[in-house]
This record gives sequence, C-alpha cells and structure tokens, in this order.
Amino acid sequence: MTEIRLKQVRKAYGDVEVIHGIDLVAESGEFVVFVGPSGCGKSTLLRIIAGLEEVTSGEVEIDGVVVNDIAASDRGLAMVFQSYALYPHMSVYKNMAFGLENTKMPKAEINQQVRDAAALLQITELLDRRPKALSGGQRQRVAIGRAIVRNPKAFLFDEPLSNLDAELRVTMRKELAALHAKIGGTMIYVTHDQTEAMTLADKIVVLQGGNVEQIGKPLDLYNTPSNAFVAGFIGSPRMNLLSAQAERSEQGGIDLVSGTHRIALPELAGIAPGDKVTCGIRPEHITITHQDSADLTVTVEFAEQLGGETYLYCSGGGVADLTVHHMGQLNKQKGDTLHLALDRSQMHVFGADGAAIVNGIY
Amino acid sequence: MPEKNANTSLSDRLTAIAAIPVVLFFRLFEAPFRFVQKIGGLKAMPYIFLLPNLAFFGVFVVVPLFINFSFSFTGGTNIFLSERVYTGTEQYEFLFDCGNYLDPQSCREDRFWKAIFNTMTFVVLQVSSLVALSLVTALILNRKIRARGFFRAVFFFPVLLSPVVVALIWKWILLRDGILNAFLVSIGLERILFFISPEWAMFWAIFVSIWSQMGFYMLILLAGLQAIPPDLYEAAEMDGTSPERVFWRITLPLLWPNLLVVVVLALIKGVQVFDEVFVLTGGGPGTATQFIVQYIYTTGFASSVQNFGLASAASVVLGLVLFVLTLAQLAAVRRKNDV
Repeated sequence: MTEIRLKQVRKAYGDVEVIHGIDLVAESGEFVVFVGPSGCGKSTLLRIIAGLEEVTSGEVEIDGVVVNDIAASDRGLAMVFQSYALYPHMSVYKNMAFGLENTKMPKAEINQQVRDAAALLQITELLDRRPKALSGGQRQRVAIGRAIVRNPKAFLFDEPLSNLDAELRVTMRKELAALHAKIGGTMIYVTHDQTEAMTLADKIVVLQGGNVEQIGKPLDLYNTPSNAFVAGFIGSPRMNLLSAQAERSEQGGIDLVSGTHRIALPELAGIAPGDKVTCGIRPEHITITHQDSADLTVTVEFAEQLGGETYLYCSGGGVADLTVHHMGQLNKQKGDTLHLALDRSQMHVFGADGAAIVNGIY
Repeated sequence: MPEKNANTSLSDRLTAIAAIPVVLFFRLFEAPFRFVQKIGGLKAMPYIFLLPNLAFFGVFVVVPLFINFSFSFTGGTNIFLSERVYTGTEQYEFLFDCGNYLDPQSCREDRFWKAIFNTMTFVVLQVSSLVALSLVTALILNRKIRARGFFRAVFFFPVLLSPVVVALIWKWILLRDGILNAFLVSIGLERILFFISPEWAMFWAIFVSIWSQMGFYMLILLAGLQAIPPDLYEAAEMDGTSPERVFWRITLPLLWPNLLVVVVLALIKGVQVFDEVFVLTGGGPGTATQFIVQYIYTTGFASSVQNFGLASAASVVLGLVLFVLTLAQLAAVRRKNDV
C-alpha cells in the first residue's frame, strides 16, 4: 500500500507555467481521479508522478520519500497509457513479460506472473496474439495486465477508456472498479469524463488551468461544490447556472433577479442587495408546478424522451438555456410553457468570483 | 438599388460571354471522352486516361527493352537491327565462358567479370556502410539535439546535387593539386595520389557515393523513427528498460520494414552505379573502379569497335539482377505496409 503526496508542485515549459503549485495526497489504497477539461494539466500532473516529466519546483513523495530525482523505472509505479502503448511486434505474452525481463527475473517466475495476471484479466487465450489482432477492450486489458504483472506500488491510468466506444467504456469502467476492489493498491486515474470520475473515484481532484479547484468525495463535490466551475463540471447533465442580481424583496428577504424571473430567498449571509451572483440548480431539483408557485416560467425548446425519464431543454424570460429533469414520461413539446419551482434545499449561490456562498438554502 | 441591379446584370452578362470560349473548349475536349464512354462504358475510361503515360512508357522503355534484348542475339557493328547478323546465344556464351567464375582472369571476357567483381565489392562495402551511417545519423537527428533542423538539412543537401556535380566537387578536392592534398602538405604530410592507387580510388568511389546518397536514406529512416509512437518509449522507460535494450527490442524491430526498404533500394542503386564514379575516377586506375554499367557503356559506345551485341547481352544480365532486387524491394514494401 502506497501513499503519494504532492507538495507545491509546479511545472513550467519555458516561461509558461502549466501547473501552479498543487498540493494533494493519494492515500494508501485510494482510487483518486484527476478530472478537468482539456489542457487543465491533469495528464501533466500524472506524468510528473510517473517520473516522465520533471517538476519545476515542489516535491513528489512516494511513501514519504521524495522521488523528484528518482527515475521513472525506480519509482515502482506502473502506468496504463491512453493509446495502451503495447509493443506491436510482440505477442501479448511478450508485452506483459517485457518489463519483468528487465529485472532479470527467472523465466519460470515471469511465466507464472504473466499467467496469473492473464487469468485475473481473463486474457489467457490471447497470450499468443499480437496487439493488432485484439479489439479495443482486449488491448485495454492487456495494457492493464502489463501494469499488474509488475506488482507496482501504485497504478497510474492516463485516460485509459477514451479510445473505447460508449458501451465498452461502461463495461471497462465496471471492470476497473472490480479490479481495484480485488487487488487494492493506490490508483491515480486521469479522465476528462466526469461520469468516469463519479463512478470510479474514492476521491476526485477537479483541475482547471493548472490549479486544483476542489478535492473531495464524488458526492461531496456533487452536493457541495466549492465554486461555479466545479458545480458546472461535475454532474451530467450539468448544473443550470443562472446569472442574477440580488435585490431586497418586499417580504424582507432577498430576491435573485435573473431576466424577468424573480427567485425569492430568505436573508442570507454573504448576499447583499446589488450583488451580482450565479444561481445554481441541478436539472433534477427543478419541478413543474402551477403558475402561482412558480419561480421561473419558460418555454420548451426541445424535449428528450428517454422512456424512463425526460429531459426538457428550455429558455425564456432572459434565461437562455435551462435543463429540467423529470422522472418518468412527460408529454411536452417544443413551444409548451412550463412553470417551474426550484428546490431551495438543493440550490447553490455563487458570488461574482465564482466561489460558493451557499450550498442548499434552508 | 436599380443602378446596382443594372451593374450586376452587366457583370453577369460579361461573365457569360467570357465563359463561352471556355465552355466550347470543354465541349470539344469532352467529345472524344463522351464517345469512348458511350462505346466502352465507364470501365473503359481509366484506360483512356492512362493511355498517354502507357504510350510514353511503351516508346521509351518497353520498345528499347525489346530492341536491347534482340540486339543481344546479334553480332557485328551495324546499328540497324535488320542489318545485324543473328548469332544466337553466342554473346551470352562469350560472357559466361570462364575457367573459374571466381577468377576473372580465367574468363574470356575478363573485363566483364572484373566489372562484376568490382561492382560486388562496391555494393557490399557501400551498402553496408551507407545503411549503417544513415541509421546512426537518423537516430542522432531524431533526438532532441540543438540545431536539429539545420543538421537534417545539411545531411540531406547532397541528395539535391547532380551526381556529376558531386563527382566534380570531390575530384577538385582529391586531385594531385586538390585542396585535400594541399592540406596534407600544409601539415607536413606527403601528397597522396588518390586516383593512382586502386584501393584509394575504390575508397573514394564508395565514400563519395555514400556522401551523396546518405541524406535520402537517412530521411526514410528518420520518417520510420518518427512513426514509432513515443508512448512505447515511455512505457519502456516505466518498465526500466536500458537504452541498449530499447534499441534492440523496440526501435530496431519497429524500424525493420523501413530498414529493409533502405537496404534493397541501396542495393539497386549500388548495382547501377555509374555516373559519379565515371566522372570521379573514369573507372581507373586501369579497371580498378570500372563497374558493370561502365563496362556496358564502354563496350557498346566508347570503344573503337562498338560491340552493341555484347553490351546488350551484359545489360540483359544486369537487368535480370535488378529485376530480382526489385522483386525483393516490392516484397519489403509490402511487408512494411503490413506492419
């Protein structure tokens, strides 16, 4: 079991700094997912941990030992690449055995380890095949097998599922989760897909522009995002974010005015009349109601009927894009008017700087 | 607004008038194609487009090939095939009449066999050195070294020169009063007569051809190296693979198809060597650097008695060797595409 710790890690290419002083800990046996949009620095951070990139400043510690000057091969980590990086001229067996051969391990032992890993991943019958004779999912398994066979201190995954089709991605996601449960081990996983992050992670690290936006358990990030970026990034479909201005209400509370809509709130610390804020509400926390009790009145632009649930994409009254989720079927069409109520206990308000002022109003 | 409409309409009219000759030209140009398509259907069309090239290839390659082949069964000095004497396989028998094939002196046409031996020596030394140097250069220039682009250009530049220019440059350097000898004298060494010594002449023939061709093969190998995904090297790095093992177990096997193409191309070009060496050494001293193509040229055109028949027979033999090498090249390319 291995703990990986980053202390004030910075990375610059020439004058351009891409990682701006990151602190984080991957606890022993934890499945940590780095998630963020393209160019946020998540792969660079993983490569820094792997030893494939040098840090410009800061420290990378593995089990309390600073490994900044230790070569990638001596860090005891294994990496699964986005492209799988299987040697195309070698059989699956040779691919898996290659790293062990470097350690001068006896052949019988190599054979045993390769076959054990192959059995674990159910790829024993593929051992004699070359990578080009394998499907995407099989290649993925071989790449994982190549990592497992080395019995590493920790596993690093660099967007390992992004080359697979949607269906296979779901299957492999489940298999990865099962694998983590079976072999334990610290795993750091990079993805831009927040669904992968939510389903796999013990801990999610949300990155943007080389900075950590928030670190936490998946549902903590979902329920109490620390800022509007995390709120918008975590969750699918994404949280509705409405620009609004706070005004004193006639009843003594605060009204958030967004276009022609007026959302009544009680007096809240951190929000004063005149403040520009962003009101966040997830699609599943909006309900269809009567005109009298409505916070918003909008028009349906597009209705997505999935059978078991319905998504309505709406606009109107100065709100350009609002998604509403409804469990079950709902017979609505383009042009229909909807009166919507927002669940105050699930409402988020972010300040002008994007930081959360309140997550849930009671 | 009406004025704008009038302008637009005038410009439209002028455009339409200007288009008339263009349209007429295309109508006329299309006519034979339309006719062929009507007669032969769509399947005939590719052959119509191939026809100019096929005609060119036929007139300048296939017909001379047959003429050459016919010449090899004739004797005498007459240039018109119809007036030449049919001699059957006499020219081939003459070429291959040897006491011991490993000893050119024992052959009736010892110049032919000497040229073959010279060519084989040249090919073995030149191709092996050329491929090794191209590979090393490509490996170095594939690394992130300073001024990489500049060095790539420097190594490729000689490829752009005409072989005659290359030979003249090096002749200027290597002659008795050339700059290399001037340099040797200036540092107190003796002048070397490079073109009087058979060994030196062969060395410089090989060196100059390597100098002029290396850039081309380096480029093929460089392209091959760059096609190897960097992820593989990173995976090897994570696996703790030593640089030597990375070269032998990853780089070389993945570069092998390119290397095979380079070897076969270099072999073909090596067997065909002529112009550079002819200008550089003239085949000398004696026949020390006379290769097979020069033998054919000299026998057919540059001797007092122009023996077209013998030259043709020798070129048929050379053609067969090149044919086999070309098959090897095609096989190599196919293998490269399979990987």
